[in-house]
Amino acid sequence: MKLELGYINIKDIVFGSESKISHGVLTVNKNAVKDLVLEDELIADVSFDVAKPGESVRITPVKDVIEPRVKVEGKGGVFPGWLSGVETVGSGKTYCLKGMAVVTAGKIVGFQEGIIDMSGIGAKYTPFSTLNNFVVVCSPVKNVKQHDYEKAVRIAGFKVASYLAKLSRELTPDSTEIYETCGIKEGIEKYPNLPRVAYVQMLQSQGLLHDTYVYGVDAKKTLSTIMCPTEVMDGAIVSGNCVSACDKNPTYVHMNNPVIHDLFAEHGKTLNFVCHIITNENVYLADKQRSSDWTAKMCRLLDLDGIILSQEGFGNPDADLIMNCKKIEAEGVKTVIITDEYAGRDGKSQSLADSDPAADAVVTAGNANELIKLPAMDKVIGTLDFVNSIAGGGENSLQEDGSIEIEIQAITGATNEAGFGYLSAR
Amino acid sequence: MAKYKVVHYINQFFANIGGEEKADIPPELRDGEIIGPGMAFKAAFGDEVEIVATIVCGDSYFNENLEQCIKLIPDMVKKYDADLFIAGPAFNAGRYGVACGSVCDAVHNILHIPVLTGMYEENPGADLYKSSFPIVSTKNSAVGMRDAVAKMSSVALKILKGEKLGPAATEGLLETDIRTNLFEETRGSKRAVDMLLKKLSGDKFETEYPMPSFDGVNPSPQLEDASKAKIALVTSGGIVPKGNPDHIESSSAQKFGEYDISGVTDLTEETYETAHGGYDPVYANEDADRVLPVDVLRDFEKEGRIGELHNKYYSTVGNGTAVANAKKFASEIAKNLIADGVQAVILTST
Amino acid sequence: MNYFIVTNNPMVRDEFFESNEIVYFDMEFEELLNKVKRYCEEGHKLLTHPLSGSVKPKETPYKSILISKEKKDIDMSSLNCIINCIDSCKKFGIINHIMNNEKDTDFQLVDLSLITSALMSADSCNI
Repeated sequence: MKLELGYINIKDIVFGSESKISHGVLTVNKNAVKDLVLEDELIADVSFDVAKPGESVRITPVKDVIEPRVKVEGKGGVFPGWLSGVETVGSGKTYCLKGMAVVTAGKIVGFQEGIIDMSGIGAKYTPFSTLNNFVVVCSPVKNVKQHDYEKAVRIAGFKVASYLAKLSRELTPDSTEIYETCGIKEGIEKYPNLPRVAYVQMLQSQGLLHDTYVYGVDAKKTLSTIMCPTEVMDGAIVSGNCVSACDKNPTYVHMNNPVIHDLFAEHGKTLNFVCHIITNENVYLADKQRSSDWTAKMCRLLDLDGIILSQEGFGNPDADLIMNCKKIEAEGVKTVIITDEYAGRDGKSQSLADSDPAADAVVTAGNANELIKLPAMDKVIGTLDFVNSIAGGGENSLQEDGSIEIEIQAITGATNEAGFGYLSAR
Repeated sequence: MAKYKVVHYINQFFANIGGEEKADIPPELRDGEIIGPGMAFKAAFGDEVEIVATIVCGDSYFNENLEQCIKLIPDMVKKYDADLFIAGPAFNAGRYGVACGSVCDAVHNILHIPVLTGMYEENPGADLYKSSFPIVSTKNSAVGMRDAVAKMSSVALKILKGEKLGPAATEGLLETDIRTNLFEETRGSKRAVDMLLKKLSGDKFETEYPMPSFDGVNPSPQLEDASKAKIALVTSGGIVPKGNPDHIESSSAQKFGEYDISGVTDLTEETYETAHGGYDPVYANEDADRVLPVDVLRDFEKEGRIGELHNKYYSTVGNGTAVANAKKFASEIAKNLIADGVQAVILTST
Repeated sequence: MNYFIVTNNPMVRDEFFESNEIVYFDMEFEELLNKVKRYCEEGHKLLTHPLSGSVKPKETPYKSILISKEKKDIDMSSLNCIINCIDSCKKFGIINHIMNNEKDTDFQLVDLSLITSALMSADSCNI
């Protein structure tokens, strides 16, 4: 399957009477996007704001980060299962608004987290501080069920992103990138001497605010399966989770999955990137057993030589991580895992809730318990009401001068386990 | 700018007072003096740091009067309002290393100032304290003084300036299980791809998180018939013939003892005692069978429940003993036991 | 049904008391895990992961865990799992929460959602 991505660089975002993209400046008509969001009757009100790199701005609580993309040629549409049927995506041509993101923020449950600082030390920890962020802050109608409202805000983000991306339909991309994978037999013939490598991605699938969706299907109701690596570039996997935001994959990370991109960079050179395997992280132990058996079975059936296994979350997923790693290694498939650590604030505790000698090649995205003091910001988009109750926060998190002392697990993407960031630990 | 103030702790040897024969001198405060390795530190620190006092103590005195020393020395340090307390470096000197470790620990806990020491990785003080505060990794003898001082002074300056220390390997500290964050040059996914390529081609790669290794020992198969087996007693509880003829150390043991118990049916207060310094010795000294059950095994022998009790037992002290030493003792003991045809061992701890 | 729910979450108790067997304890998170450990020591099998959810132990006070009704020989993987979880729960000792009604209810709700997802799996098969 072959997908061409056309990149439209967005250097600035402003509000104006007509939504358009011109010379890298995205102009947004507030009323138009407002009407779009308020189509959902569960959303009582919405406000919009723009946060730019280097500004003294804090966005919190962040629910999702999304890159605006639009399908301009080929089958299906971006965000299948949500906005555009369920036809298989990942081929043809897609335009992406680069250098920006749609960030959904606002309260869903009484404890909630996710901080993006646009400047200061915190900006170093979140990968989203380098983007021009179009922030959508929603508030619910009264007596709405949290499940229903989570879904409403999730979809609102996709709608806004899609609306903005469509403005680029007639433009000429600033640059393009082509991603292509081959069929099994074709790959073996084309790259007879290269090791056969796949990416095994574990998806959060536990319940409210802990879910991930694949073509609109709740991942906890799926069996481990194979995808073409280009499918996620069209929004085939989206995020429904944001609790303990440091190691959850926002939709933006799925669309720009770093493992997929870095494997493509080596595809045909040092390795043959065969496919993307997805599996879940259910709460029920028999599900874990079945799902990990299946990933190992597929690795064997595909005659893989090696895989990269990425985790999403801590605790319960540690069990899946170790089961997957052990079983896949036992099939003779060399495995590297990407995880993060909860080694305590002093770094002295056992990092993972499970372990096995088979996991001898580990990339870590850092200790999520590390304490950090985030300086006060001139402006807060969203609300600080919840900072004191977010994971890693404590009674005295919010200081009088507006600074926050907090564990980095509250920062969106700080220890991303798809390997999106640069943080590590030794 | 005011200089940072440092108080330095060294033993009698590095203070040029003398060797083993002078190891019993009590702590002395040398106000305003810079002695021995202190001179090297002074040179390395330059103008930024001043060593305001040196405390000298004999290694034997310290270890034999531990409780007293860990109160007295912080008291001596207190009035200087120091920014940092440095001990050693101790290299592979066992008692000096333990002294440097415990004095740093005490100063840190009582005065709440940062502390720093340096020693060889196999020094018994290393295992005891490396997770509590930074310990610079040094060579195993004073030949490595120059290197040790260079590393220690660079870490000291970072601590004094309030800079965060990086991972142990980068700072030249003894490796611990403490996890420290750092930013890499390449993102995680790229590092994973690189690691996988190395793993696939059989090249060496370094995992970023070594899985905790539990040194598991698989249990041996059950004795088929205990009534025919020769059984030995081995203990880390420090049971020795009265007077501790081999001078097994009360902590951080450097040796083990082999003792003949031919004809011995009961360990009495008059004949045996414990050398262990890590538990209340009263009950073990009253009746050492409580730790090393010779009496019961003699009964078993008589009743035919075991074949025989081996005529030698092995003993060491498990109190703060380095794992490397313990392993070394065990392999020697095991060799002897096998040579003597022993089929099973009862290993008692405290 | 071949399982029962051990919980300290009143919302889970009230939601399932008619349809499922519930053992409710009014106790703290870690205490509850220790309770579950005792069940495992008696030979019950752990059916869900004790550290389900991303809300860290002790940040949320609530936990619900599925356990097999059947008692057999001790299942070592269950026992190891619960012991590991109790250990790793200890490192989260510091989070100090200011609880209010809304937050409390939402913590209960998220735990309910996690256990509901497990029940869905448990009820759809027969293992």
